[in-house]
Amino acid sequence: MARTVLICDDALFMRTMLADILKGAGFEVVGEAQTGAEAVKQYKLLQPDLVTMDIVMPDMGGIDAVRAIVKEHPQARILMCSAMGQQALVIEAIQAGARDFVVKPFQPSRVLEAVQRVLG
Amino acid sequence: MDLRRFVDLYVAETHENIRLLQRSLVDLQADAPEGAVAEAFRAAHTLKGISAAMGYQTVADMAHRLEDSLDEIRAGRLDADAGLIDALLSAADELEDEIAAAIRIGPSAPGLEIDPGAVPARTTVSLSPAPAGTTFVAHVLLDPAAPIKSARAMLIMRSLGEMPAVLGSDPAQFDDSFDGSLRIFLSASADPAAVAVLIRSAGDVETVSVRAPETVPERGGDGGTQPGQGRQVRVDATRLDGLADGLGELSVLYARLQKADIPAGVDGMVDRLGTVLGELDHEMRALRMVPVREVFERLPRVVRDAARSVGRDVELVIEGEDVELDRSILDDIGEPLVHLLRNAVDHGIESTGDRLAAGKPARGRIRVSAERERGSVRIMIEDDGRGVSAARMAEKARAAGLYDRAAPPGTDEELFRLMSMPGLSTAEEVGAVSGRGVGMDVVVSRVRALGGAIDMRTKSGLGTTFRMRLPITLAVAQALRVRVGGEDYAIPLTHVTEAVELDAGANTDGVLRVRGHRVPLVRLRRVLRVSGEGSEEAAVIAEIGDRRAALAVDELVGREQILVRTFDAVTGMLPFFSGATLLADGRPALVLDPLSMI
Repeated sequence: MARTVLICDDALFMRTMLADILKGAGFEVVGEAQTGAEAVKQYKLLQPDLVTMDIVMPDMGGIDAVRAIVKEHPQARILMCSAMGQQALVIEAIQAGARDFVVKPFQPSRVLEAVQRVLG
Repeated sequence: MDLRRFVDLYVAETHENIRLLQRSLVDLQADAPEGAVAEAFRAAHTLKGISAAMGYQTVADMAHRLEDSLDEIRAGRLDADAGLIDALLSAADELEDEIAAAIRIGPSAPGLEIDPGAVPARTTVSLSPAPAGTTFVAHVLLDPAAPIKSARAMLIMRSLGEMPAVLGSDPAQFDDSFDGSLRIFLSASADPAAVAVLIRSAGDVETVSVRAPETVPERGGDGGTQPGQGRQVRVDATRLDGLADGLGELSVLYARLQKADIPAGVDGMVDRLGTVLGELDHEMRALRMVPVREVFERLPRVVRDAARSVGRDVELVIEGEDVELDRSILDDIGEPLVHLLRNAVDHGIESTGDRLAAGKPARGRIRVSAERERGSVRIMIEDDGRGVSAARMAEKARAAGLYDRAAPPGTDEELFRLMSMPGLSTAEEVGAVSGRGVGMDVVVSRVRALGGAIDMRTKSGLGTTFRMRLPITLAVAQALRVRVGGEDYAIPLTHVTEAVELDAGANTDGVLRVRGHRVPLVRLRRVLRVSGEGSEEAAVIAEIGDRRAALAVDELVGREQILVRTFDAVTGMLPFFSGATLLADGRPALVLDPLSMI
């Protein structure tokens, strides 16, 4: 059975790119969210194996979304997607419970390595 | 006490702080003036403190005045307008000159004694002692290219989880100053192998070694080292060069040794020598790496000054400052970068009026970025200006007698080749900023001398991008040794894709067919003007980007590790060499630059 992933990013471009990379690795994209609030809602509904989470999103940022998800689902496996220069935010996200991170611009191999670690 | 002992440290520290000061002064007009003022203030304050400690009173006084002005700005009593920033920047320049003078001449208040504790040693990270009960120490070094190393270190600590064997780490906290090297203290209950596996599983780990805690080595008080126990040592760069040169020669000697008749019983030692040399080479390269930041941080000032002098509004975006390069390469690209940036401001970015009329954002934008790309580093300089006009460039070149075709260059490659011809200033008139003297030809030859490549893409009305590809290290390179007319030449393997045999008498049309592709044949005998005996029997296929050429040689001798010594082009010399080397058998050879022939 394909492993499931929920992709959270406010940019369609980034969602498409991530979906492409993850589908190529055999994932089934079961949901996409454009805001933190939506991510939390969808996680509850879908309980995916993996979540990719952008940091800066409207209506609850990625870090708060991680907090909200991990609070109810401590086993959630969340991979942060950060832009360059968001060092402090990435650290905050990890403290909040994110399992690993990748830095944009994405290199597919790096994304998949991080995914392996998150699921490993 | 003898203050001269601290001069090296002083030089390094003031250098850093002057750069910080200049950068934050430039930032003052940008978005975050509050942080920038605070940073500039801190830099001036540090400069004052350490200069006073060295007895350089004049410098300290100047820094103090700067600090005062910055304090006024910080308190909102002074307005940081462009004029004031100019004045502060010149003050910073004067301060830099004064520091140089003070270092040369010595303290202005001779005989001043200082307490060594007063000399700040911010760069010296003291080795924190292992906690009681430490049986093993895991030394972890992150991949130098890993992003956000502090976050990765946190993940490493987390991967060890609640393992009771973990007693602590050094550093204990990870922040922006974390350099990618950490030690984790473990008790006797730890399984070293299991710990290493867990650490690796956290990702981005270059090396892990779990071993018994070391005893802190005693450091002698010989001038260069800092007082106390330091884990990091600042070393004069020329010493590193000396080491690298020595190591390079050792590698060459080793290559020669391998070709000699090795008596049984010694061969094991020769093998071991090779292994150790490999390790040393690896360490040496790591030692010589410095982040491009050291050069990039000068650039905002360059752009600002250039933009002000020609009345342009330009924003500079810098990316990839953490990418590392061999120091000697970095030292050499500063000038070309500055030239390209000035050019971009002077000739690329349009006036605000022209930009608005063309439907572009009022503010011009230049982006400088560095990126690691397998064995090389790519540096891009992109502007969103008007682009290079091929027609105008052709006109200029015609006027200078450098171009005789009616049509302007049809491709970016041709245009760039034309732009980089010696004697052709890229300005229509000599610009106020980019000025006379350094032309694109110098930029190109500098990059090539480093074994790198540079190209250009330009779009009329949209902008121009220069792309430099640089080797990460210089010292030792793999090369193909060839013979042409009885002379030896080395061709760096970086640009070689394959070597083929040539049929005698064939390929007279100057084209070689390689696996169905037509590749222009460059006859080295003719190009290098050698006429010794022998005939062309083989060709080396060189490839740069999408351009290829077959270099016809007499003989392929083999692959060798060479130590390239670059030299400044000798007047009258053929422009096809990037350096010279000593081959494994001790014969000198010129290093060919395939880029110059494609």
